[in-house]
Amino acid sequence: MEDVAKSERGRFLPYAFTPLPAISMAPEVLDRLIVGKDPDTGKIVITEIVEALTKPVSLKKPESAPSEAPGAAIPQMLVGPDTEDNLQRLFYDKGWTDGLPIILPTEERVRKMLAGTSAPPDKVVAEGFNMESGERRAYTVNNIAVIAVMAGARPEFFPVILAIAAANRSAISPSTTAFASILLVNGPIRKKIGMNSGIGVYGPGNMANAVLGRAWTLMTFCHGGGKARKDMWSSQGSNLTYNNNCIAENEELSVWTPFHVDKGFKAEESVVSIFGGWGEINSPGAASHRSLVEELSIEYGTIPPLESGATIVMDPLVARSLKENLGFSKKQDFCQHMSKNVKIPAGQYWKTDYIDMLVASQAYQGVEPYASWKKLPDNALITPFPNPANINLIVAGGAVSPLWKATDYRHGISVSVDKWA
Amino acid sequence: MSPETGIQKSKGGPPPGGMGGPPPGTKPDTGPMVFAKRLDTLEKKTVYLVDIGFGGGYNFMLRLQKWFTENMPSVTTVVRRKPGRVFADDNNELWDEVKVKGHAVVLGVAG
Repeated sequence: MEDVAKSERGRFLPYAFTPLPAISMAPEVLDRLIVGKDPDTGKIVITEIVEALTKPVSLKKPESAPSEAPGAAIPQMLVGPDTEDNLQRLFYDKGWTDGLPIILPTEERVRKMLAGTSAPPDKVVAEGFNMESGERRAYTVNNIAVIAVMAGARPEFFPVILAIAAANRSAISPSTTAFASILLVNGPIRKKIGMNSGIGVYGPGNMANAVLGRAWTLMTFCHGGGKARKDMWSSQGSNLTYNNNCIAENEELSVWTPFHVDKGFKAEESVVSIFGGWGEINSPGAASHRSLVEELSIEYGTIPPLESGATIVMDPLVARSLKENLGFSKKQDFCQHMSKNVKIPAGQYWKTDYIDMLVASQAYQGVEPYASWKKLPDNALITPFPNPANINLIVAGGAVSPLWKATDYRHGISVSVDKWA
Repeated sequence: MSPETGIQKSKGGPPPGGMGGPPPGTKPDTGPMVFAKRLDTLEKKTVYLVDIGFGGGYNFMLRLQKWFTENMPSVTTVVRRKPGRVFADDNNELWDEVKVKGHAVVLGVAG
């Protein structure tokens, strides 16, 4: 809001700020904020509000930097020759890294990377929009090859990185909250490039998992995103965005269909899928004294879903148990079961900040089941997953312990890797 | 090589669903916004205090209403929550009501 208010579009907008936070403050604290000073201007907030309604609105000078000429390509193809240390420093200072050293993208390295795809170097992979400059930008295979080199990719990884780019999503959200993602790879490419889908699937140590996840974040930084107070406002950020939870599904040990098949792709296709959200509970123990649904009811009472959205990444042992011991022959059967049986108190649901912010409006508009849930007493139990189709189940891990990760992540997009091979 | 090598830049607003753009369905940017003519005074006027739905916004508006009641009693204030979601899907019901019954709006967020 502040960014827009100070931009070209908001030049007419009269605004006032109070010191933060205002959320969850006692009434007397809010009273003090109203008669206190605006931290931006030093003026009294209530005076600014009254004056904003009664004095002519002046045209403010936008704080956004002017953009370059439309249609212009950034002319500088190469950075000048220098020592490796100085070039590493240059890339860091330009904001082109995630803070870690990168592989310097020499012409030769980029040329080798381009051999990893049959797509021509000038083919446009994605179009983006830079909020700071207000420009539309087109990214080619060559642009993405530079990023792939910087991330440390081998040429055989490149089709996956192109598919990630083609998904056209930012790894770092402009939200003031701390979004994170899961980057899931399915299909034969997993084995071809040596991805880990087994023991320690989320952990460090595998080149492909590490590099692919990193490449997405570097793309975001190099293409104008992730800049603090410009298009990245997350107060705390998330260290998950270093690698974006890049994993491969353990299709070999899964008793169910792979995720990409659930989304309409053929099993023999290679696919990248992106999920996004805020919350993840890394289950510290198995469902040893309660059923998995009871455990999930407790966990999703902490991170209630938006629009039934959830992604549960379960070890192969959990999936096998659900199928062989509890009769869920298909994933969808378990999602239906979750939809009917995961229950949380209505009061706990509605008093969750983002649920009130993003779901309450639907209740006020009469949308069911939210309208009915809004009328319930706080201790009444609701089933917060009315739409089981929005529950995603992924099987990953080493079949060492029947554990899972319960997340509120929602599926965003799945993109074919094969078209970029 | 520079990672910005050869990136084509142009005006024309965000591509549909493109990275960094506003949510799908958002109207294209039509340039600077123009606001209603300012009032000469708030005396005996009706001011809508509209919370857009961010946490804390509604309580802030209630305290702002209290301030007006105590300090500018001739001003009528109406606290409302924006009907649509925080970022989108407004209907015109509230805005039509403001045009008919109100003289000014304070639109607020919190954080």
